[in-house]
Amino acid sequence: MIQLDMSTPQGVALGLLPEILLSGWALIVLLVVSWRHTTADDSRLAGWLSFAGIAVSGAGLAWLWINNATPAGLAQMMALDSFRYSAAAIILMCAAGSILLSLGYLERELLLAPEYYPILLLATCGMMFLVGAEDLIVLFLGLEVMSLAVYVLAGYNRANAASSEAALKYFLIGAFASGFLLYGIALAYGATGTTNLSLIGAQLAGGRLSLMAGLGLGLLLIGFGFKVAAVPFHMWAPDVYDGAPTPVTAFMATGVKAAAFASLVRVLLEGFPSAVSVWQPVLAGLAIASMIAGNLVALAQPTLKRMLAYSSIAHAGYLLAALWPGTRLGSGAVLLYLAAYSLTTLASFGFLAALGRHGERSVTYDDIAGLAGSRPWIAFGLSICMLSLLGFPGTFGFIGKWYIISALVAEGQIILPVVLVLTSVISAGYYLPVIMSMYMKAPASEEAHTQVRLFPAAAGAIAVSVAAVVLFGFWPSGALDTAIQSAGTLTQTAMPVAGK
Amino acid sequence: MSQFLNSIGYSQWILHALVLLPLAGTIPVLLGDERSAKRTALAVTLLEMILSLGLWWGFDAAQGGMQMASSAPWIPRWGINYQVGIDGISLFMVLLTTVMMPLSVLASWSSITRRERAFYALMLTLLTGLIGVFIALDLFVFYVFFEVMLIPMYFIIGIWGGANRLYAAIKFFIYTMAGSLLMLVAIVVMAWKIGNTTGTLSFGYQHLLENAGTLGSAAPWLFAAFALAFAIKVPVFPLHTWLPDAHVEAPTAGSVLLAAIMLKIGTYGFLRFAVPFFPQVALSPGVSRVIVVLAVIGVIYGALVAMVQPDIKKLVAYSSVSHLGFVMLGIWGVTVISVQGALMVMISHGISTGALFLLIGMIYERRHTRLIDDYGGIARVVPLFSLILTVVALSSIGLPGLNGFVGEFLVLLGSFQAYPWATGIATTGVIFAAAYLLWALQRMIFNRLDNPENERLTDLTRRELVVLLPLIVGIVWLGLFPGPVLRRMEPATQRFVDSVQPVSNTARLGAAGPVAEARR
Repeated sequence: MIQLDMSTPQGVALGLLPEILLSGWALIVLLVVSWRHTTADDSRLAGWLSFAGIAVSGAGLAWLWINNATPAGLAQMMALDSFRYSAAAIILMCAAGSILLSLGYLERELLLAPEYYPILLLATCGMMFLVGAEDLIVLFLGLEVMSLAVYVLAGYNRANAASSEAALKYFLIGAFASGFLLYGIALAYGATGTTNLSLIGAQLAGGRLSLMAGLGLGLLLIGFGFKVAAVPFHMWAPDVYDGAPTPVTAFMATGVKAAAFASLVRVLLEGFPSAVSVWQPVLAGLAIASMIAGNLVALAQPTLKRMLAYSSIAHAGYLLAALWPGTRLGSGAVLLYLAAYSLTTLASFGFLAALGRHGERSVTYDDIAGLAGSRPWIAFGLSICMLSLLGFPGTFGFIGKWYIISALVAEGQIILPVVLVLTSVISAGYYLPVIMSMYMKAPASEEAHTQVRLFPAAAGAIAVSVAAVVLFGFWPSGALDTAIQSAGTLTQTAMPVAGK
Repeated sequence: MSQFLNSIGYSQWILHALVLLPLAGTIPVLLGDERSAKRTALAVTLLEMILSLGLWWGFDAAQGGMQMASSAPWIPRWGINYQVGIDGISLFMVLLTTVMMPLSVLASWSSITRRERAFYALMLTLLTGLIGVFIALDLFVFYVFFEVMLIPMYFIIGIWGGANRLYAAIKFFIYTMAGSLLMLVAIVVMAWKIGNTTGTLSFGYQHLLENAGTLGSAAPWLFAAFALAFAIKVPVFPLHTWLPDAHVEAPTAGSVLLAAIMLKIGTYGFLRFAVPFFPQVALSPGVSRVIVVLAVIGVIYGALVAMVQPDIKKLVAYSSVSHLGFVMLGIWGVTVISVQGALMVMISHGISTGALFLLIGMIYERRHTRLIDDYGGIARVVPLFSLILTVVALSSIGLPGLNGFVGEFLVLLGSFQAYPWATGIATTGVIFAAAYLLWALQRMIFNRLDNPENERLTDLTRRELVVLLPLIVGIVWLGLFPGPVLRRMEPATQRFVDSVQPVSNTARLGAAGPVAEARR
């Protein structure tokens, strides 16, 4: 356990070690690619360099985490707690996975501008600031760094109209959402005279929520609602997810969502714990709407990518439900579910990238008919992913859902868990047909799947993810303890039973 | 025998071995080649059966509680332990499972020709799930097994099933999952509520059972969630519509396992969880009335619908709805006799209906039709087949001296005092059963041999006889000497009845003690 004095340069340097390493590394990669940016080899070099950067940043993060770094005195600007570390670990994992998925994909789609990778690193850096932000200004900076980089990534396939459309749509809606968020921050500042989350929380404690602070909270919630693609702020998500290059979609569906959720947890539990009676009904409404609409609309999607886009809306609903209790158990559930969801979603999009042949953007259910016959491992892995997203026992997804249900039930909430499980049944209606198509239907032709190609790097990332999904499905104790401990650093709300 | 079992520490490892062996067996099945998959699977399931037979002697018949119980921490933070054990109720479910499994493998010998490795690996996984469901003593573990079982069956129906298999597979999956997910919420709610009262968060069966009385006003809702999950599985009318589809479309082995074992998970769930946890709800006059009425409707409706089926497999499928109605009636009779009867019906139905599905599968392999009208007079061509079919059908009808009679008689006897009217109406179900089965028999194997295609049918092969013989032995043995089985069940059923009795009507008490004593 080390204490870092964040008012000294040395303390800041150590406290922001992962972020500094990552952004520095991103600049170096940018320098490298400005000399070498024409061939597939250059692209690959940039990719592996970036992957190494993630590893270096991860080492810095591990150092902070293992030494259990805490701030000397009140946390300023950036938090130093396990919640930040575990959320940042999830984000680095998403980034590493996305890079590995991109390596082969960019070559196949001939997207050979290697600036892709430094942009991705910078987005990751923004996310890490976002999940650690103890101050609304840092939060906004992190959010903008992340968002701007991801807008670019979404439109990376310039030749493709859908990709450009996705980028533009994402940019416009994202700017709109940022506006809401910024206005919310301004109002919160106006009401409390500070942008530090803990101080806002202290200011608001006890008294009734003033109109200005309430409005600020509402606008913040709307801003986050857009970022996590919760119904009714989800309209952009399907088109953007569908249009963006598949590894970018994976990055958006996992990293962006994880960062936004972790940040939302911190804002609500540190900044607005006294307004719990105000934000709980809002979260419940958003959660129910997202679970129902996301799952129902996903049923009607013809292509797998759009199906996964809507399913990610549904998963945002589950996560909002996990956030509802506002307890240590609840934020632990958010962390654990984010880990489960990210691992599974990364692998799913990885498979999808392999299935989408060059130039063909949409993979339909029929396209994967009979896949199990010619590509048994892909079919097997994708089936596990589908079962995990469905929340089936024996997978990490089930542990995540069980945890969410426990967190809700511990607070005496019954409606949200019931909606959660009933909408999960609906989700069986679109996850199972994937398995059904692969295993139980005949392929369209003998050569139907000869072009399916899983690149070695992507295969490695997917294999690790799928293995983790199964492993944590059966032995979740380690992940569980980490999630609970991390959540504990954020909020000390009493836990009746399991808090030992 | 029991000394030998003691000397090898049988009771310490057997339950774990029964769960792990089939799972481990999937490895050689998957690694071997396609041709040897069935042999490996047969060896594994036979070994499993032989191992499990020791339970018959290793089990202490005088004891009503859980035996051979053991527990290991799994997810300590949530109070979840891998906890297993058996009593007189689960013992026979486990034995039924281990006996039916090698027979199902043998029955698939020539009918499964595609993707054999996958098929037998799934069968073995299913075996693990089935055993796990019956021995789990932790609700988390139970839930995991309850759900995990769905996957292999989903694939077995969906890949190797009949023409309409995709529809049947997804319907089966979604029906079961819808019920079980609500049960999941109920399990969590129960554990947390009890955890808040007692200070220990645990999903252990005993812990929850002892403290279920503290649930208060939540009990009706929790019972409803459990009951829905199990009622779908049984299936109780009107939740039965998945059953005909799944049973008919599944390959023979799938139908056999569905009917013989998976349906029993529903009634087992009522006996083990839903009723003992919430007796004050389950046996309240209102709920009892609903369940008993639905059970009787199931008995009559299943039989009537079975009567008009042109497809013999569908006929047997609907007959299951009818038989399981008896089981539900027996459980709600809440006397030692009626509950033992319910258990006996569960076992006999497993054997008889399993045998019927096997026979149908055998004749289907030869003739590729299941329509009753396509047959007729085949007793002259396939006498052995016809003989066995007749015996099995008679056992299913409940002919005295065969196994079906014992259970149904005990159910009717035990429930009569509590529900005279319902029992009276249910009795007619036996007559209907005679009607639909005998009529079908008449049209299939008697009458005139008027279809030339039937003239070339070949009689049962030696392999098929090997499959059927143990079941025939079981049919006759259980029919003539049910004593040893009933004796092993009695302490557990007595315990069940005692635990729920204080809240049920006193009128039901009368029959339990003396008659049960006399029968020993």
